[in-house]
Amino acid sequence: MAVARPALLEGTRPPGVFTRHDHHGDTVVDADVVVIGSGAGGSTVAAELAEAGFDVIVVEEGSYYQTRDFTADTSAMVRQLYRDGGATMAIGNPPVMYQEGRAVGGSTVINGGMSWRTPDKILARWEREAGLAGIAKDLEPHFARVEKRIHVAGMDAEAIGKDNHLLKRGADAKGWQIIGNLRNQAHCAGSNRCAFGCPTGAKQSSLVSYVPRALHYGARIYADVRVDKITRHGKRATGVIGTVRGTPHRLAVRAKLVVSACGAIHTPALLHRSGFRTPSGQLGHNLSMHPNVKVVAIFDEQVTGWRGAHQAFQVREFQDQGLVFAAVNLPPSVLAMSFPHRGAALGQLMDQYDRMVVAGMLCEDTATGRVRTIDGKPQAFYQLAEADAANLQRGVGLLSDLLFAAGAKRILLPFQGAPDLLSADDARRLMDRKIPAKGWEVVTVHMMGTARMGTDRARHVTDAFGAVHDTDRLMVADASLFPTPIGVNPMETIMALATRAAGHVIDNARRYLS
Amino acid sequence: MSGYRHSATGRRVLESLVTVVCPPEAHGLASAIVDHMELTLAASPPMLGRAFATGLVAYDLGALPLHGRRAHKLSAERRERYFASWEHGPTPLHTQFSHAINQLMSLSCYEMPAMTERLGYHPAPWIDEVTRRRLTVYRDDVRRQEAQILAPDPLRPGVYVGKRRREVG
Repeated sequence: MAVARPALLEGTRPPGVFTRHDHHGDTVVDADVVVIGSGAGGSTVAAELAEAGFDVIVVEEGSYYQTRDFTADTSAMVRQLYRDGGATMAIGNPPVMYQEGRAVGGSTVINGGMSWRTPDKILARWEREAGLAGIAKDLEPHFARVEKRIHVAGMDAEAIGKDNHLLKRGADAKGWQIIGNLRNQAHCAGSNRCAFGCPTGAKQSSLVSYVPRALHYGARIYADVRVDKITRHGKRATGVIGTVRGTPHRLAVRAKLVVSACGAIHTPALLHRSGFRTPSGQLGHNLSMHPNVKVVAIFDEQVTGWRGAHQAFQVREFQDQGLVFAAVNLPPSVLAMSFPHRGAALGQLMDQYDRMVVAGMLCEDTATGRVRTIDGKPQAFYQLAEADAANLQRGVGLLSDLLFAAGAKRILLPFQGAPDLLSADDARRLMDRKIPAKGWEVVTVHMMGTARMGTDRARHVTDAFGAVHDTDRLMVADASLFPTPIGVNPMETIMALATRAAGHVIDNARRYLS
Repeated sequence: MSGYRHSATGRRVLESLVTVVCPPEAHGLASAIVDHMELTLAASPPMLGRAFATGLVAYDLGALPLHGRRAHKLSAERRERYFASWEHGPTPLHTQFSHAINQLMSLSCYEMPAMTERLGYHPAPWIDEVTRRRLTVYRDDVRRQEAQILAPDPLRPGVYVGKRRREVG
C-alpha cells in the first residue's frame, strides 16, 4: 500500500521547514510573529508579514508533504491529511460529520479549490449587523490580490468530466442558472483528487502558493507541533508552547504578536485553554457549518466521474434561497462507506460505480452551534434547524429533478431508510412530505463564526481586523471571524481577511513590534 | 493517532463479518480488509477506537444467550441473522455499532486493489497521464505561475518593517 512520505525523508525539504525529526530536546525560539496554523488564513498572514520584513514563525500540527507525496491511495491520504482520519463529528441529531485538513497548507490541501468572493449581500449584512462599515470596498483589493496569488480562474474545457457535463445538461434542460466554477488552479488537469492532495500540483493550495512564498521571504515553519497553549502575561499574548507530535519534546515560541489561524473548531478551544476570556462571552458560540447532503444518481450511460475536474460547475439558480449544487465525484471506498447496503446488494450497487454521478449541495444555514472545550479539546455541538432541514430536503428534491432531466434512471437519497427515486415525479413527491432531520446523513467542510468579528465588544469576539477584544497582541485569522455564514466556499474570504489583517499589522508595526 | 490495534477476538469477529458486509467477490480478502480497518481506526480519535473495541467484545459475547455460541463461531446463516438483529437492534447503540461496522468495512473493502480493479477504477495511470499533459501543453503558464508565487509584490510598497524594527530599537 502506497503511503505518503514526509518530504524530509526524500531529502527535498525546503529551507525553513522543520519537522519532528529536527527536535532532539526542548526548543525555545524567538520571532516577531507566531502564526498558529498554516491553512488559508495562517499561510496568507505569514507570507504577507514575512515579505514586509517581520520575523515570522508558523506552527503547524500536521506534517509537511509535497505534491509528489500525494498518491492515488485514498485512505492513506485521508489518514495523513485529515484530522483524526476524517472521523470528526459535531454532536446533534443528526450528527454532522465534518472534515478538517491537518498538514502544512491546512484544509486548502484537501478542499475542492472553489474560489469565490464573499457575496455582496453577505458583506452588506456584515456592515449592518457587525458594524463593519465599508468592508465591501475595503476587501476589494485584497480579493484581487488573493486571486492573483492563487491563480483563480475558470476551468479549461478539456479538464471537465462527464459527471459535470451531465449536471450542466440537467440544469440547461430545466432552464436553471449554472456557472463555471472559479477555482484556484493553474490548468487543472482533471485528476479529481482535490480532496486527497492534488497530485498534479495544479491546485494552488496554500501548500504550493502562500507557504513557499512565506518561506521565500524568510518565514520558518515548524510542522508536527501541536500548540498546547498561547502564553500570556495578563491580557497580553507572549507566544506559544507546543508539543512535537510523536516525541516528548516541547517547542516554545516567544513572539510579540500571536495569530491564531487553526480554524473555527480549534481557535476557540485554544483561546479557552490558554485562559483568554472575552467580554462578549461569545468565544466558541455562533458555529455555522453550511450543512451538506448528497444524492447519487445512476445513469444508463458510462460516466467515469473520476476522470475530470472536481466541481467544474455550480448551479446557482437557488443561491438566493441558500442552496448551491455541484457534482462531486467520490472514490469507490468513500462512496461505498456512505451506502447502507451490504453484502451482495452492496456489490450490485457498486458494480454501477462507473455510471454514477454524485451531486451535493451547500446550504447557507440559519442555525448556530457551539464549540465547547472539554479537557482542553474542542467538541462541536450543532443542531440542524428545522428550517434548514426543510431547505435541504427541498434542495434534494430539486437536485434530483435536475438529474432526472439529465437522464438519470435512479437516485439514492441521503435519508436513512428512504426508498430510491425512479422518476422526476418521485422527486417532486419527495418535496411534499416531511422527512425527519434525525435520519439525515449530513456532512460539512465549512465551519465558521466561533470568534466573530465586529465592533461591539459586548457581542463580538474580535475587532474588525481580527484582534481579540480585551486582549493585547492576539489576533484571529481564520473562518472563526465570519459574523455569519457566507453561502459560498469560504477559502477566498479567509485569505482576503487575512491579507487585510496583515496590512493592519504592517500599518501599525510600531504597536506590534515594541 | 489512537494507536488502535485489533484484539485477537476483535480480529476474529471482523473476519467472520466480511461475509456478511462485503460482496461475495471480497470474501477471499478478509484478512487484508480487517488489516485495513485497523489502519483506519488507528488514525481516528482514541475514544472511537476504544468504543469500537468494546463494541466488538459486546457483539461477540452478545450472541451467546441467543445462539449458544460467540458471534465469530456462528454458522453463515446465523451470522447473517445475528448481524441483522443488531441493525434493527433493541437500542440505538446496537444500530449505531452495526452501522459503524458496515461503514468501516465497506470503506476497507473498496480500498482493495482487486475490488477497485473490478470497477474499472485505476486513477494512478490517469494521474500520470494528465500530469504529463499539463506540464507539456501548459508548460509556460505553469512556469509563469510558479515564478509569480515568489516574485516581490509587497502588500505595502515601500514599507519594510525589518528596518523600522531596528529604528525602534
